[in-house]
Amino acid sequence: MKPLSAALFDRRLLIVAGKGGVGKTTIACALGLVAAQFGKRTLIAEVDGAGRAAHLLGMALGEIGKPQALRDNLSVMSVEGTVALAEYLEIVVPVKRVLEAVLSSRVYQYFVAAAPGLKELMTVGKIWYEAERVDPNTGRRAWDVVILDAPATGHSLQYLGMPHAAHEVFRTGIVGRESQRLVDLLTDRTRTAVNLVTTAEEMPVNETLEMYKRLRDELHMPLGYLFINRTHRAPFSTADADRLEQRLAGLPEARTRPVLDEALRRAREELGWTAINHAYIERLATQVDMPAVEIPFAFVEEFGLEQVRGIAASIEAVLLRPARRTIHHARP
Amino acid sequence: MLGLDDIVQRHRVLICAGSGGVGKTTTAASLAVRAALQGRRTMVMTIDPAKRLANALGVTALGGVAAAVTADGIPRGMLSAMMLDQKGAWDQLVERHAPSPEIRDRILANRFYQHLSQSFAGSQEYMAIEQLCELHDHGAYDLIVVDTPPTRHALDFLEAPRRIADFLDRGVVKWFVKPYFSASWATMRFVNRTVGFLFRRLEEATGISALMEVSEFFTSMSGLFQGFEPRVRRVYALLRSPETAFVLVASPEEQVLREAEYFCRKVEELHMPLRGVVFNRVHRELAAPRQRLSTEEVKRVLAHALGAALPAARLAENFTRYEALGRGDGLRLEAFRRQLGRDTVVAEVPNFNSDVHSMAGLQAMHPFLFAA
Repeated sequence: MKPLSAALFDRRLLIVAGKGGVGKTTIACALGLVAAQFGKRTLIAEVDGAGRAAHLLGMALGEIGKPQALRDNLSVMSVEGTVALAEYLEIVVPVKRVLEAVLSSRVYQYFVAAAPGLKELMTVGKIWYEAERVDPNTGRRAWDVVILDAPATGHSLQYLGMPHAAHEVFRTGIVGRESQRLVDLLTDRTRTAVNLVTTAEEMPVNETLEMYKRLRDELHMPLGYLFINRTHRAPFSTADADRLEQRLAGLPEARTRPVLDEALRRAREELGWTAINHAYIERLATQVDMPAVEIPFAFVEEFGLEQVRGIAASIEAVLLRPARRTIHHARP
Repeated sequence: MLGLDDIVQRHRVLICAGSGGVGKTTTAASLAVRAALQGRRTMVMTIDPAKRLANALGVTALGGVAAAVTADGIPRGMLSAMMLDQKGAWDQLVERHAPSPEIRDRILANRFYQHLSQSFAGSQEYMAIEQLCELHDHGAYDLIVVDTPPTRHALDFLEAPRRIADFLDRGVVKWFVKPYFSASWATMRFVNRTVGFLFRRLEEATGISALMEVSEFFTSMSGLFQGFEPRVRRVYALLRSPETAFVLVASPEEQVLREAEYFCRKVEELHMPLRGVVFNRVHRELAAPRQRLSTEEVKRVLAHALGAALPAARLAENFTRYEALGRGDGLRLEAFRRQLGRDTVVAEVPNFNSDVHSMAGLQAMHPFLFAA
């Protein structure tokens, strides 16, 4: 496989997936900043309407299903299946009165709320629509890159597997055909890449390995980068901490003693995380065949746009560097 | 002042909710271990497709059935664990409720059903609650601890039974499916233009054969779910009962806390009892604001006390970096706590620098979860 480098943004759809809480939204936003920086007209699409991406980029959550421009080349959109379905029906049901009758009927509302898989299918459909949409004024595609901030692993797999399941059931007819188009996009390595985000810890890594296998073997989706988020690298050694501990043992009680004890405790904590991260990065390196980028842990009081920009800068540096090693160490 | 121990002892069902990645699974397992250690027959149930509980308990495969957890220190037979297998749970439900073997076989063989039970989302939450009710009715356990699915919307879990009931009971099946086969359908098509239009669209959209399978599926299922509404009422009665306690698990990150806040408001609206909040992976600052030291000062203290051989600057920087984390966590948690009701128990677990996925790890959380 060719190293991805800046060619990553030649793909039309970049999916960012991983376990809950590992920083998918952060990475999706950082990738969006980098893509926009490279001059790509970029849309960050967030599934589930919580407005996390918009919030992290310093914006209020806009109307669901409507891209909101953040700056030149960068927009954010929240996607929700029910809204996407209504939008879709607007296209296929041309008579406004009939459409309104359908949308406002209780039967429709119950059906949409409970019909299994419908929301997932419509969500993926909306993403597809945005990724392929052509602006009628310019005749160009509306976006060069759509970055999808996907839901947590289990739900991601259900979303990404949905078009395939729907195609299996509805082979003929519009649903069958449209599902096939979604499957085509999701499995096309010239148009799509699934990027995984994880932290280098037991459970996120287990989920990452599981997701990686299913993406590769069952869903046959093209893979992009593996982002190893929040990695610790202590800038001192265990021997340093040991020496600190020995000296402290012989030290008389003093006003500064709590600070010294705490300095030791924090040193041990950082060394502990460094060791854990190191072990799991090794494990990922042997089992996941994807180019990996380490993102350093951000020691800040409050994580915000500034930190996302920092991560974007380090991702950009890695993308621009010719890829030699499997794991790149991004520096803040 | 009540503690989490009281919550664990006084309830028969504990539901651990919260956004993904905050340590719900480990917290649920740790609470269950505590109850088992206190001699209550305890079941911990996870509905997470990622098999995380299996990791947390050091068990490799749990399957859809209850498995006794045997571990050093846990009284024999006191702790069981279960991982809900989505596919298996649907099959079980069909087996249990099908009015005849023919109908059962017809459903199990239906292509739409096979996809639904394997890969369609949303059913997971419902099946979890169904399973919970069954375990509860069974009465073999003094306490059932439930780890909710890793959704960003913890509330999906609570709303699933209502949605499914709306779908199955409120005539949706009748309107959408049954008329398709019935003699009156042809007349309805003319009488009701909207429905006629919808059906023509559906035919076009799905291809007739698929629609037949779908409608056959729902026709069989609707028989299966006769009396579904009373079951759903019972589910909600259980979720609102004084026997049940919700424990919200959160980490001190801003996004997580914003969602936790929303969850607190919602459970209150739904009249479900939020009894405890567990803050996981918390850093705390050493110094009170007035005694804060700069990196330079810490470096001087370190260098003065310890001599030049140590990398004082780096150790000092590490100290102040962690203090910054602790300061941020502290501010966010205090703000969050101010919004909680007085009778909500709060516990705070530090950020262990070891993965909490062994029995020892689960027990290491106890001094913090159950601090006096």
